[in-house]
Amino acid sequence: MLPLFIHAAVAQDYPDYLRDESRRTGRAEAIAFPASATEVQQALDLARQRNWPVTLQGGRTGITGGAVPEGGLILNLTRMQRVLGLRHDPDDDCFYIAVQPGLVLQELRRQLRARSFDVTGWSTAARSALARFQTAPPQFFPPDPTETTATLGGMVACNASGACTLRYGATRDYVAGLRLLTADGDTLELRRGRERAVRRQFALTTTAGRTLAGPLPAYTLPEVKNAAGYCAADDMDLIDLFIGSEGTLGVFTAIELQLLPEPAARWGLLAFFPDEAAALRFVRASRSAADVRPAALEFFDKRALNLLRREREHLAALAALPALPPAFHTAVYLEFHGAEDEVGAAVEATAVEIAASGGAAADVWLADTAHDLEKFKEFRHALPEAVNRLIDERRRRAPEVTKLGTDMAVPDAALEDVLARYHRDLAAAGLDYVIFGHIGNNHLHVNILPETPAQYRQGQELYLAWARDIVRLGGTVAAEHGIGKLKVPLLEVLLGAAGLAQLRAVKQIFDPASRLNRGNLFVPD
Amino acid sequence: MHIVVCIKQVPNTTQVKIHPETNTLIREGVESIINPFDENALEAALVLKDTLGAKVTVVTMGPPQAEAVLRESISRGADHVLLLSDRAFAGSDTWATSYALAQGIKTLGAVDLVLFGKQAIDGDTAQVGPGVGEHLGWPVITFVRKIEVEGNLLRVESVFEDGFDKIEVAMPAVLTVVKEINIPRMASLKGRMASRKAVIPPVTAAAIQARPECLGLRGSPTRVIKIFTPPKKTGGQKISGAEPATAAQAVIGKLRELQIV
Repeated sequence: MLPLFIHAAVAQDYPDYLRDESRRTGRAEAIAFPASATEVQQALDLARQRNWPVTLQGGRTGITGGAVPEGGLILNLTRMQRVLGLRHDPDDDCFYIAVQPGLVLQELRRQLRARSFDVTGWSTAARSALARFQTAPPQFFPPDPTETTATLGGMVACNASGACTLRYGATRDYVAGLRLLTADGDTLELRRGRERAVRRQFALTTTAGRTLAGPLPAYTLPEVKNAAGYCAADDMDLIDLFIGSEGTLGVFTAIELQLLPEPAARWGLLAFFPDEAAALRFVRASRSAADVRPAALEFFDKRALNLLRREREHLAALAALPALPPAFHTAVYLEFHGAEDEVGAAVEATAVEIAASGGAAADVWLADTAHDLEKFKEFRHALPEAVNRLIDERRRRAPEVTKLGTDMAVPDAALEDVLARYHRDLAAAGLDYVIFGHIGNNHLHVNILPETPAQYRQGQELYLAWARDIVRLGGTVAAEHGIGKLKVPLLEVLLGAAGLAQLRAVKQIFDPASRLNRGNLFVPD
Repeated sequence: MHIVVCIKQVPNTTQVKIHPETNTLIREGVESIINPFDENALEAALVLKDTLGAKVTVVTMGPPQAEAVLRESISRGADHVLLLSDRAFAGSDTWATSYALAQGIKTLGAVDLVLFGKQAIDGDTAQVGPGVGEHLGWPVITFVRKIEVEGNLLRVESVFEDGFDKIEVAMPAVLTVVKEINIPRMASLKGRMASRKAVIPPVTAAAIQARPECLGLRGSPTRVIKIFTPPKKTGGQKISGAEPATAAQAVIGKLRELQIV
């Protein structure tokens, strides 16, 4: 008999849980919805007894198929959504919030804004930190993936980032503590600054006293925004090994996150340029201008804007914004955070750079209220939505095709060349596509929109060819979406056969039976 | 051409909750915005400015912090603003508010057109626009979805539930506009820099020569006796069926049984 929180008949009763945002569908023998670390342990015990692989799930918002099961048990953590406590650190004068992994980002944001939490079970120290928190300036959790229904567990597992990663960094930079269960049900407690590697050797002791030790991968990861492969560096903080490991090393049961004071003002600026070259000149200029310093710097190419124009009537998100005049060729979105004066001055400096780059101050839309900023968020969200609509339409004619979305970041110097190459190769192949994304981190998403299975294959070949070249240039194959199951071939391109073997050796130490998230990062033997 | 747009600062009702005991709005922590229909009125004025070269003045009445929505209007392209702010205005109902706004508009020199949103999303009365027209003695057309100017004439389309009227009216006139008339523009860089520098002094009741007995609670014929949430409808019966004709028959049978038909 199964415990009450574990259900069989997944395909019949829980079909949605066989999928994630990758739109790939898997299969599973059972699904568990644990509400506590103890129940997670019970579920892992059961998986061991039955020799089931275990697929971890949060909000299932990932787009690389990481949460799609390939048989065995689904361990869905969305019932573990409590805030466990608050802490104020006198050393850095920062607040830290401890949460369960299933808490959803938008719910964390809501509770932080309301400064109100369910304090059942909180320690006295946590309660007094709350009293301090309620009278302190408003605080926020900076990582801002577009999909706010992501869970914090998923965000840490994938080292999620967002538009404002340019200024604030990725999720990794805000994880101060982790409690996790290994596949064998042992507990590991990690605190930033406490457990460190010695050069490339690590040793960790579980709460039961077992030591897990071995070599870290010897590879050097590219020095760009990255979400591919286990983090590895000399003398690294070992908490970083688990952040971005895509659920392959353990199950998080508690996560402590750092908070920052909310900026007084947040303004958004959507600047339109008459051609792509002017937009790129502006991007470069705004990077070097000391007085601009945006929190976000995003890019929309001509085809992306044209797609929004075409799909406008179907996109509720665009209803609040004026139609795009035909002369608007390429767009750059900037966001500024800070004190009101600071932000005002930065926007004025930006206006100067826009004009100097060949744009016009008159072709800029500005949002200086929370209400208007929301409209720009919707604008950015509208593009992937439009892409998905278009692909769904094409799949009705050719069910085999799907979107091919790249996620590669390159070093600063390579940006213009790589973008020119995308355009050149796609035009030569006659493929439909849009390009948009986090240009501040040289991280553009090319979305190839194939119409036929032949075009889909052609797109895949291009993607792989670009990946090889971008890795040679010092870039990464996955800057924010991770590897999951869909991008497994790309991880080998990045790490090489030797690097991948070293990564698998680390996995072997924590999960000898290769039970957790089997099929993510690499295909097991 | 001189166009006046009257706007109201309202709480963003998508964020507002109702206090369970007092039945009043809980405004704490809720963002204040330009009443959305008034954004359409401002946009209509700015379109006329773009095409005909009109001057646009934006007027609001409210506490000192209502200045924020006037700055937002400048950011979008308004030329002048007027902030009516005085304790004497506090508690004004739609009649007293209309009177004060009309008095304010009279101080602005020659005015050809006054625009309002069709109603405010907090009070929902739709009375202030027509009230101002009455106080000014000008014609009023409500629920306008299209404005054309020809010489001194306005050609407008005014919508109602199942159609619209085409109306010609001579200026000066007062119009209230519906959402469908346009999509409001975003602020511009030039506008925002102008709004940053703008000095917006509050204008008092005395300065617009408003009679004290016509303002505030004293000048307001409306009294709010009680605010309550109407009880939720209970019971009811849902008739469903695969065939619409069969379902319709069932409805008619029920109505006959209740002796309604």
